[in-house]
Amino acid sequence: MNDLARTIEALLFIAPEPLEVATIQDITGEGPDGIAGALEEVRGRHGPDTGLELAEVAGGWALRTRGDLAAACDALRARPREDRLSPAALETLAVVAYLEPVTRREIGRLRGVDVDSTVSSLLDRGLIEEADRPHAGPTTYRTTTAFLERFGLARRGDLPTLERFELTGPEAGALRARLEHADLIAEAETGDA
Amino acid sequence: MRGTNPAEGRAGDAGNLGGVPARDASAALTQEVEIDLFQGPFDLLLTLLLRDEVDLLELPLADLVEEAVTPATDERWEIDAASQLVLLLAAIADLKGRRMLGEEVEDEPDADALAMREALVGRLVAYAPFQRAALWLADRLRAAERPRYRRVPPGTATPVPVHDDPARLSAAIDRMVVAPPAPSLAHMGVVRRPLPELLVRLRDSLARLREVSFDRIVADCDRLEEALTLLAALELVRRGEAELRQDVPFGDILITGTRA
Repeated sequence: MNDLARTIEALLFIAPEPLEVATIQDITGEGPDGIAGALEEVRGRHGPDTGLELAEVAGGWALRTRGDLAAACDALRARPREDRLSPAALETLAVVAYLEPVTRREIGRLRGVDVDSTVSSLLDRGLIEEADRPHAGPTTYRTTTAFLERFGLARRGDLPTLERFELTGPEAGALRARLEHADLIAEAETGDA
Repeated sequence: MRGTNPAEGRAGDAGNLGGVPARDASAALTQEVEIDLFQGPFDLLLTLLLRDEVDLLELPLADLVEEAVTPATDERWEIDAASQLVLLLAAIADLKGRRMLGEEVEDEPDADALAMREALVGRLVAYAPFQRAALWLADRLRAAERPRYRRVPPGTATPVPVHDDPARLSAAIDRMVVAPPAPSLAHMGVVRRPLPELLVRLRDSLARLREVSFDRIVADCDRLEEALTLLAALELVRRGEAELRQDVPFGDILITGTRA
């Protein structure tokens, strides 16, 4: 390994947060290309047969332990209890992640339910935050660095395209058929009343 | 071991317990039924019933129920599938009951209902990608929660910007530890002359002079004292000790003593 790669490896080892390329540039005085090459070298050194891996997370680079070693790591250092995210929270997060910056009203309109408490709980967890407001208007929300870290995303917008998740024609047809059946039930129930 | 008898599995055990896969909700609809009148998936039968292509009165309901609740395999019932099936069968029974009693049953939903259904379909189709994206996020979350990061560097509390000038750092801290100026209470408006004192003062003036100008006695007063003085004057009028006269609206008020 050359000196730059060794330096970067050392920095990654002691960095408490994912290390941004700009920070590495400041410290080493090296250009982005040189740093990218050195990062590749560090990555090559920490292959699948080692305990560590180089990962791009939340806009920076981190040297972290490999997933299969989680149990051993937790035996050394207790992990804070993970709070589980409800399906409603995950769906709201998905809406924010794809549409950010987005208002509560827009989230609510899409989800078809009141989202105040879900948005508040995501704010409390630090997964979303208020976005900057260049003009007067309703508060908008966006995802945070903590969101990127928790979901292991390299940067904002590091998501599959939304088109990939759209319903196909037959799927939409099946949905319509389900609703027709639901109408049959609803009719029978209204008749009862 | 549970679930060796399919009937037992169905009766009490709706969730996906044990190793046997549960039927999901759509399985109830796509399940094949085979009765005299009809042979095919359950949802097709429903569609045909709705379009009146299968006569409801001819439908052997008991056979249908038996057919619908007898699973093709020994899969367990999932609670959503079971409740959807029960609801559908109940709806069909209810409709058939009404037909048999000669009650009118709307064959086609009205235009409003259709429009509402279309709007709902549109909304669900628009929202579906986000639901799937949420599932994708859930997968990401599971994968991302395995690696561990060095979060607490041993022996250090907060990282100190060592390359910064210590003097600048010290100056920054000095600014933070200076006590802020004490808040001013000037606006709190201390009442300097209570009402009884003003009453005495006004009485004294009226004892010396027959007529007192309001403007003159409040000349060096602030607004609160001016208001209190007016109250004192009105109090004297109420007690019959003085009369007020104001020749011009908003003009000076003349206070005249009624006691000689």
